Amino acid sequence: MIALLETLKSNLPFSLLQNTPFLLIERTAQIAYYPNGTSLINRSAIANKLFVIIKGIVEAREDEELIDIYHSNDIFLGIELIKNEPSKYDYIVTEELICYEIPMDTFLKLCNDNQEFKSYFFSTIVERMEMLKEKNDYSSMSDLLIARVDETLLHKICEVEAEMPIIEALQFMENSNSTSLLIKNENGYGIVTDADFRHYILYKEEKNLKTISQIQTYPMISINKGELLFNILLLMTENSIKYLPVLDENNQLLGVLELIDLLSFFSNQSHLITVQIAKAQSLDTLILASSRVEVMVDALYSKGVKSRYIAKLVSEINRKMYLKLFELIIPTSWHNHCGFIVLGSEGRSEQILRTDQDNALIFEDNFIIPDDIKEVTNKFIETLDKIGFPRCEGNIMIINPQWCKSVSAYKKDIDNWFDKPSMEGFMDMAIFVDSITAGGNNYLHTQLLTYIMDKIKEHKEILRHFVKAIDNFDSPLGIFSQFVSHDKAHKNEIDIKKSALFPLVHGVRSLSLEYGIRESNTTLRIKELNNRGFMNKKDATNLMEALEVINTLRVQSQLKQWRRGDKIDNYISVVNIGNLEKDILKEALKTINKFKKLLSYHFHLNTVS
Amino acid sequence: MLDKIKQHFNRKNLKDKEFAFLFDGVHKDEIVVYDCETTGLNTKTDNIISIGAVKIKGDKILINEAIHIFIKQEEEISHKSITIHQIRNCDLKGAIPVNEAIERFLYYIGNRKLVGYYLEFDIAMINRYIKPMFGITLPNKREEVSAIYFDKKIARIPQGNIDLRFDTILEDLNLPRLQAHDALNDAIMTAMMYLKLQHTRKLN
Repeated sequence: MIALLETLKSNLPFSLLQNTPFLLIERTAQIAYYPNGTSLINRSAIANKLFVIIKGIVEAREDEELIDIYHSNDIFLGIELIKNEPSKYDYIVTEELICYEIPMDTFLKLCNDNQEFKSYFFSTIVERMEMLKEKNDYSSMSDLLIARVDETLLHKICEVEAEMPIIEALQFMENSNSTSLLIKNENGYGIVTDADFRHYILYKEEKNLKTISQIQTYPMISINKGELLFNILLLMTENSIKYLPVLDENNQLLGVLELIDLLSFFSNQSHLITVQIAKAQSLDTLILASSRVEVMVDALYSKGVKSRYIAKLVSEINRKMYLKLFELIIPTSWHNHCGFIVLGSEGRSEQILRTDQDNALIFEDNFIIPDDIKEVTNKFIETLDKIGFPRCEGNIMIINPQWCKSVSAYKKDIDNWFDKPSMEGFMDMAIFVDSITAGGNNYLHTQLLTYIMDKIKEHKEILRHFVKAIDNFDSPLGIFSQFVSHDKAHKNEIDIKKSALFPLVHGVRSLSLEYGIRESNTTLRIKELNNRGFMNKKDATNLMEALEVINTLRVQSQLKQWRRGDKIDNYISVVNIGNLEKDILKEALKTINKFKKLLSYHFHLNTVS
Repeated sequence: MLDKIKQHFNRKNLKDKEFAFLFDGVHKDEIVVYDCETTGLNTKTDNIISIGAVKIKGDKILINEAIHIFIKQEEEISHKSITIHQIRNCDLKGAIPVNEAIERFLYYIGNRKLVGYYLEFDIAMINRYIKPMFGITLPNKREEVSAIYFDKKIARIPQGNIDLRFDTILEDLNLPRLQAHDALNDAIMTAMMYLKLQHTRKLN
């Protein structure tokens, strides 16, 4: 057999064929060469052959708009041939093409003889992944994610009546070799653990403690069987608890999950880091603990945990870190009168590796901003330097008076964003609406958000201009047509943030503002947009998947940079990623393209100048 | 002019009029790219083991009409040459006698222009057989791929030494590399080089 056909045979869907069909291909196929700019087939023309690219690039276009891009081993016009339909697009060679041309008759015979081969052409990207042998790599990566709590991880329950004397209960616990006690109250259960006994020993005289129910934690936090272990880890980390009762479908007690077991399951340092942060008494210990987050991310990522869960965990930890920073650095007398907020990607809980920092301080109107404000804020940012947060290039930091002022001063900014719309104003607004309080009085921040939301209700028109920024970058699919970026330092790389992430995040943000959605996280915003009926479940899921794909590729590349000790940026190499990843990314970009179109239609962007 | 006279005498020597079609002008639409695998590099003493040939019509390589002929060997192929072209004695099972092979080849090429890489060698190899068989040498028009490459490259590097190795040209033209040293694969790769060079004005 011709060696070229051998390579054909090693790729899907041709790998599904036996030897005899290959003889048919060998007897009928041709290799064709087309120079740049050749139009292979026009829209609505009838195709009479299947194209399989050996080398080169072909673009599918519809009225000059880029719909898809094909590279080595890609196939096109399959569906049209099977359905006997005219071509939907114009196919144009954009990089010298060498390809197989398999005549229609041969192709249809192959389809007829092999159903699996035929259905490949109608399969989705997920189904193609399933077909691939590499499938295993992917499924093993998701083990951790799909792991759910079941009985094997649980400890036996040690249950006592509410009125049982404390010592008796302790004895019972000792005898059954248990580490926690569940207390049966009239209305639900309570829990008693080591910490409660300490309390008992210290205060039994003083508080006249007698029965076990007097020292219980009630109501207790519990979860249902089947919950994702990852969510449980988040829950336990958030609430700093070590014992978690698990209930079945009928809310009957099944057993108790202990943090130590969960941790050994995950064997990462997230809990350790959180504890260290929470316990830190000095800035030095805080810095030490916080700078270990990246190691944890690396470990989690290589275990295949989805990027949105990693992001969730990281922001959980960062939240604790900011809170501690706030307590240690901001003078106590300010605490109730100011709110420390994080904005942008941190505000959306989407930052995984430290690429940036955006933060601000909001003061109560009648609080006189103290004289030592400069020293305090400088110390804050310098500490962030030490932990490893690069400074914000846009200077959105509390050391900038622009982002460290009173509620009414912020309101004035907001008024300006609406009264004198400008690109800078919109960008500030975009960053500001992606924010959460990370320390101090959170009412101040809520107040400002409400102010913005109310303004938007009055000036809906402004959103059309606000969302317009998504048009600043070309169709994200375009990144595949030319791998050459203009920047010499980033040859064969693309800025995935600008070309793919931004349109998605900004679009979702704009819609959330329109719908008055208060969530700051993009995934949660999409879910909420689905709940409010703006988009159906399928579209919402696709959009979340697209976000996931892009973030995963981004983290992957950033971790590489981090391991090498390079500066972390948003560029990813489009050359070094595998074929399947390329396909998945392409699929994600198509989803974003579709979303952009939806936005354009929804906001009538073509009428906005 | 000289060429024409040469071909005139060449034709006069043709013993078997059946092959007169070789002299019929030049085929307008098609050319043939071919390559021989041999037992060695001496055109006087070494034998052809296989011939791979493919037609080009316009911008298409007609692999559906490609031929790959294996020739019965009088002697066992030496170990040394097996390591080069990886054609083992057992691979020659479907092989045909050399006379039959040469005739098939002549019918295949007809009056088409011949293209190849280091074509001179492949033509000399064929001539070694057809001279005694039919009294002629191959009359076909011919074009050397490395020469086309040289011409397009020389514009860039006037005094430079141009690397004309097969793999270098392939790489420079950014063409896919096939498992080499199989006559048909080499012919197909050469055909791709030829097509690409037809569309290249100058090489960087």
